[in-house]
Amino acid sequence: MIRARLGDWALALVVPLLLLVGYDLWARGAGDFFFPPLSVIGGNFADDWLFERVPTDLLPSLARMLAGYAIAVAIGVVAGMVLGSLRTLAIALDPVLQFLRALPPPTLIPVSLLVFGAGDSAKIFLIALGALWPVLLNTVDGVRGVDPTVLDMARSYRIPARARLLRVVLPAALPRIFAGARTALAIAIILMVVSELVGASNGVGHTVQLAQRGFNIPEMWAGTVLLGLVGFAFNALFVAVERRALGWHHGSTGRGGAPTRRTRLRRERPRPVLTPTRTAVAVESAAAGPAPTEGSVPDARRQ
Amino acid sequence: MLVVSDLSKTYAPGGEPAMAGLDFTVGEREFVCIVGSSGCGKTTMLRCLSGLIPPTEGSIELEGRAVQGPPEDMAYVFQDYSRSLLPWQTVAGNVSFPLKYKGLSKAEAAAATEEALAAVGLADRGRSYPWQLSGGMQQRVAIARALAYKPRILLMDEPFASVDAQTRAELEDLLLDIWRRFEITVLFVTHDIDEAVYLSQRVLVLHKPAHVFEAIDVDLPAERDQMDTKKLPRFGELRSRVLASLRAPDTTSA
Repeated sequence: MIRARLGDWALALVVPLLLLVGYDLWARGAGDFFFPPLSVIGGNFADDWLFERVPTDLLPSLARMLAGYAIAVAIGVVAGMVLGSLRTLAIALDPVLQFLRALPPPTLIPVSLLVFGAGDSAKIFLIALGALWPVLLNTVDGVRGVDPTVLDMARSYRIPARARLLRVVLPAALPRIFAGARTALAIAIILMVVSELVGASNGVGHTVQLAQRGFNIPEMWAGTVLLGLVGFAFNALFVAVERRALGWHHGSTGRGGAPTRRTRLRRERPRPVLTPTRTAVAVESAAAGPAPTEGSVPDARRQ
Repeated sequence: MLVVSDLSKTYAPGGEPAMAGLDFTVGEREFVCIVGSSGCGKTTMLRCLSGLIPPTEGSIELEGRAVQGPPEDMAYVFQDYSRSLLPWQTVAGNVSFPLKYKGLSKAEAAAATEEALAAVGLADRGRSYPWQLSGGMQQRVAIARALAYKPRILLMDEPFASVDAQTRAELEDLLLDIWRRFEITVLFVTHDIDEAVYLSQRVLVLHKPAHVFEAIDVDLPAERDQMDTKKLPRFGELRSRVLASLRAPDTTSA
């Protein structure tokens, strides 16, 4: 079993390694100014990001990204729970929400610079605004898609309204909320960089842009590689959190590898192995639209 | 115990009634089955009886008190166990979930949960998740949740409709056992005539829109057995009578 997993890992490493080696061979031969060999990019990476610029550029970037993301998730979940529960309000607000959601966040950079100035607030605002929609819309859908039988059950056992919301509706909507939060994470990372291209004095995106303008090509590539690694790391972290929080979901729907070897061995505490879930699809179609669910029919409420 | 008088429900104003003039009484510790063809308004009736929706007309009294919302002394077992159980909670978590809000202490809730799970034969599965259990076991969890709630009356909506025949027979006997041991009243809705006659002391035949067309007393010996009871000539007669009643043209005025 462990050997099989190691085999999977090795297999997954083959293509990236081949790509890197291929690039390096090509770059050494081509001698193109814009595409330096890996050793040069690697040297720059070590000089810049291990760890000289970490406190001055990487940490400010990440702090703004996480702040904006946290705001987006908090507002998205709370507002989504409200809108998902109150049909009338949702209908009334729908056109406004659809319009705001359709606005590409970078177009708001000029406005936010005017309102918030060139500091962190403008950037956090932009990240929060862009990351909000997938969380909000998925939460609304998740809340509406909660099975009416579960709600009837909770009411028939006289569960108070507050507990019904927090202990029945919220967990039931959680798979959708996570799908939205994952899309939002990708958007937040994109906007972290975009927000640093105008009116910034630090940050990874700012560094990459400065390097490009100064024709410091290896440094530009080093920053780009760092951004890729940041995105990769955050996604892996997210998957780990999701697997912990939604183990029951992957188990109960038979998705996310639940019927595989590992879960079968440990029935009491299911922990699906790493497999792309449907939320992975949502990231790729990162257009901030609600991700597809299985089996949930919104507004299928009886009576 | 439960007095239902002249209950009617019309969803859309001026539309077809789903329930019209439903009248019946269930005595203390009685086991009553309600049969009716699909679409005759059984679900509407149950949702009204359980206080989930208000009737358009008529009244429901449980132990002398009018039912206006879900009553404290009633537990509802749904047909679709896989959807009425919470998949993010363990079996024990599902059973004890309503107890906290009933005002029980942690220790009391744990004791009630343990007792109820033991009563349905799932004492050792408390830490499993519902979706790790078979359909029959999941419905036992739902029954355990109802029992732990300590109701005086159990409302059951075709609870065994989606399990296989063998499991169904086991669950029927389990339910009869629980009904006696816990001294509760059971109102059991089914579309299975055999099941209705086998389980109950009285069968109410519903016609559309939901109203009692005929009440048939089941005068079988109190001790029921899947083999012996169903072999009795009287069992066959009662079956035929219920079937005839279900098929009879409606002569009563709704």
